[in-house]
Amino acid sequence: MKLNWRQGTFYATTIGMEGCWLYALLVMLNNQVTDGRLSVFGLLLIYPLAFGLNGLLLWLGWHRVYRDIINVLACGIAILLILKAQLFSGLALSDTTWLLALPRAIANIFYAFAPELLILVSGAVLWWLGRRLSRIRVGFANSVSEFQFGLAILLIVFFIVSLLEVQLANSVLITLAFFLSALLGISIAHAQEGTSWLTGLYQGHWAGLLLVSISLILILGLLISSVITPDFLQLILAALKWVWGLIMKAVAFLISLLPEPSPPEALPSEALPAPAPAEEPDWSKFFTLPEAVRSGLRLGWTIMVIGFMLVFLWRVSSQIFGWLRRRLTTAGAEVEPLPGAFRADLLSLLTRLLSRLLGLRRLLHRQRKPELPEITSIRQIYRQLLHWAAARGWPRAVFQTPNEYLYILEEALPDSGEALRSVTKHYVSARYGLSSPSADELHQLKQSWHQVKQNRPKRPRSEAQP
Amino acid sequence: MARVMENPDVSPVKQTAEKLIDNIEKVIVGKSEAIKLVLVALLCEGHLFIEDVPGIGKTMLAKATASSLGCSFKRIQFTPDLLPSDVTGIYYFNQKTSEFEFRPGPIMANIVLADEINRATPRTQSCLLECMQERQVTVDVTTTPLPRPFLVIATQNPVELEGTFPLPEAQLDRFLLKVRLGYPSEDEEEAILQRFQQENPLDNLTSVVEASELLELQKLCRQVYVEESVRNYIVTITQATRSHQGIKLGASPRASLSLYLASQSLAAIQGRNYVIPDDVKYLVTPVLAHRLVAKVETKLRGQSAESILEEIAFTTPVPVERAT
Repeated sequence: MKLNWRQGTFYATTIGMEGCWLYALLVMLNNQVTDGRLSVFGLLLIYPLAFGLNGLLLWLGWHRVYRDIINVLACGIAILLILKAQLFSGLALSDTTWLLALPRAIANIFYAFAPELLILVSGAVLWWLGRRLSRIRVGFANSVSEFQFGLAILLIVFFIVSLLEVQLANSVLITLAFFLSALLGISIAHAQEGTSWLTGLYQGHWAGLLLVSISLILILGLLISSVITPDFLQLILAALKWVWGLIMKAVAFLISLLPEPSPPEALPSEALPAPAPAEEPDWSKFFTLPEAVRSGLRLGWTIMVIGFMLVFLWRVSSQIFGWLRRRLTTAGAEVEPLPGAFRADLLSLLTRLLSRLLGLRRLLHRQRKPELPEITSIRQIYRQLLHWAAARGWPRAVFQTPNEYLYILEEALPDSGEALRSVTKHYVSARYGLSSPSADELHQLKQSWHQVKQNRPKRPRSEAQP
Repeated sequence: MARVMENPDVSPVKQTAEKLIDNIEKVIVGKSEAIKLVLVALLCEGHLFIEDVPGIGKTMLAKATASSLGCSFKRIQFTPDLLPSDVTGIYYFNQKTSEFEFRPGPIMANIVLADEINRATPRTQSCLLECMQERQVTVDVTTTPLPRPFLVIATQNPVELEGTFPLPEAQLDRFLLKVRLGYPSEDEEEAILQRFQQENPLDNLTSVVEASELLELQKLCRQVYVEESVRNYIVTITQATRSHQGIKLGASPRASLSLYLASQSLAAIQGRNYVIPDDVKYLVTPVLAHRLVAKVETKLRGQSAESILEEIAFTTPVPVERAT
């Protein structure tokens, strides 16, 4: 596993960022669900464990299926071990009581959210995040995305904590650590992409500059923390709560204006015949859903609303950052107004959602013709080629045809021109002409592909954007 | 390669196309791309619209194409006083037989050159609508089918617009391709001077393909395989022209069909019995540009239908594998 120190720092800063918001989120959930019974640091151990294991598996180059199986097993074992250590430390390993606690908690999910469930859900999420981190590409865009997402989650957590009037210990420290990690990660990724001043004249003094940057960030953070005190934050959050309450009152007022269904005019009691003693059918019972279904619906609704909120925050923050970037990089140039960008972004989001839905429908209704194994092999080789080239900084643009992409690859790998032409020619023929190669041709094609893999690109990937 | 699907052998199309290109290039210097598009139109039995400034060789290209095919050829010089009956034909009273007889117009030919088509009135231009789409002509109450293959090659000068009548969208939509020739390069121009020094090479041009042969090749081109995703790609591009903000009138279903057929012909010319996305991309502008109507604000911004089509072609995802 070859990791240079910049990549290592990138991973460390990403772990720092994700660790901060994960810690805040888990502390809040732990306080709410289990009254602080669980050790949050113990839970967080899963995250680096998943990262390390997946990094090792990737380095070993095992097939994806094996990696998936190992991941599922390891995740399950880790969750069980944490469950045992945190909630059933007094019981012996051979005692199966603690093993049954998890299915029992799942069965009662609609009635109570047990600490076992928190361990299960958070463990799965942490494992997924650790695995994701091992496959993430070191880059400026990823650093910024991590920052945006983490910031959104932190804000949501702080807001909820304020609403619930719960004390979140070390909130200032978490925020400082988050910003420190984010700024460090972003600056390193920026420098690594060769677009920063740090790669030029000052490259030799990198370590010194890094220390100065960290010191400056810490000093700034301390200054800000002295100005923005918890009381000040409480004030801001109280103001937000007040505004929210105002909106809710306005909504309630508007609802109260709606006319209530008027009861039918009562007839004089003398004119009414004597009421029949027959029992009225209880229609409300007919429409009442079982408690389990209602709980399920409630859960689904909550997940959907939270999902929408996250998507909204993500999109808005990315749009603001994109706009700021353009504003900063286009000195003196005219930049489109932000409201227009918001509208365009919203429209694009809705269009994309619609197209995904339509695409899903098409996918469900499409009847795929069976394909010959030789054609499948060629397509798989071409997929591998695309992946391999993209990882080295030569991704195929969506509008490029295989032949157009071939020109770019030939420029990058002049020594593999013949092999690349052969792979592309066979792929085009198989993909669009449904032509199946002979066994010899397929063997030759595989050799060509291995030959391509062994060659080194002509130019570094930072200059290699098509 | 062992073939999974029994696709046709399109080598006769490729060989004939090479022969035609060689023959036409005896007259036209250095316009191989334009000649290739002319062949695409021939193999689709689609009509061709050549637009460029005077003196570029529009009429020469049309005449060289006609001479290379062993087909009947008629030329109509479109003028403001040209009448529909001058094109379609007329029933006249024969005093000897005391009967009305039909005298066919110049449209009754395999290849019709409509020179300077925008100089005729819309009334005369409209008489071509039925001929071009339905390949028949109706005079009085009699409908006569036109000889096959039937191909209209129209030329137009885009700069001299005084006293001309721009072609309506319905008319433009009936042309399969619009070709621009452009000025020749320095070397090409020198070659033109040398070639035309003694005599016009067009006078000695002989036909290399017969009408019946051309019909067979057209049938062969229709059998070229188009994979489902490539078909979807064509539809996506056409749909994109309809939803583009800078376009007032997008491409019609006839346009997508034309793009489909033209892609088949281009693949066959290149000796392939299946269409690839490159074929579609290559033909997007020649097939669709003349059918689109750009908005006024688009034109004011300096954009044209061609530039919008380029943008569409460079944003529409091509059906290719995704990296794993």
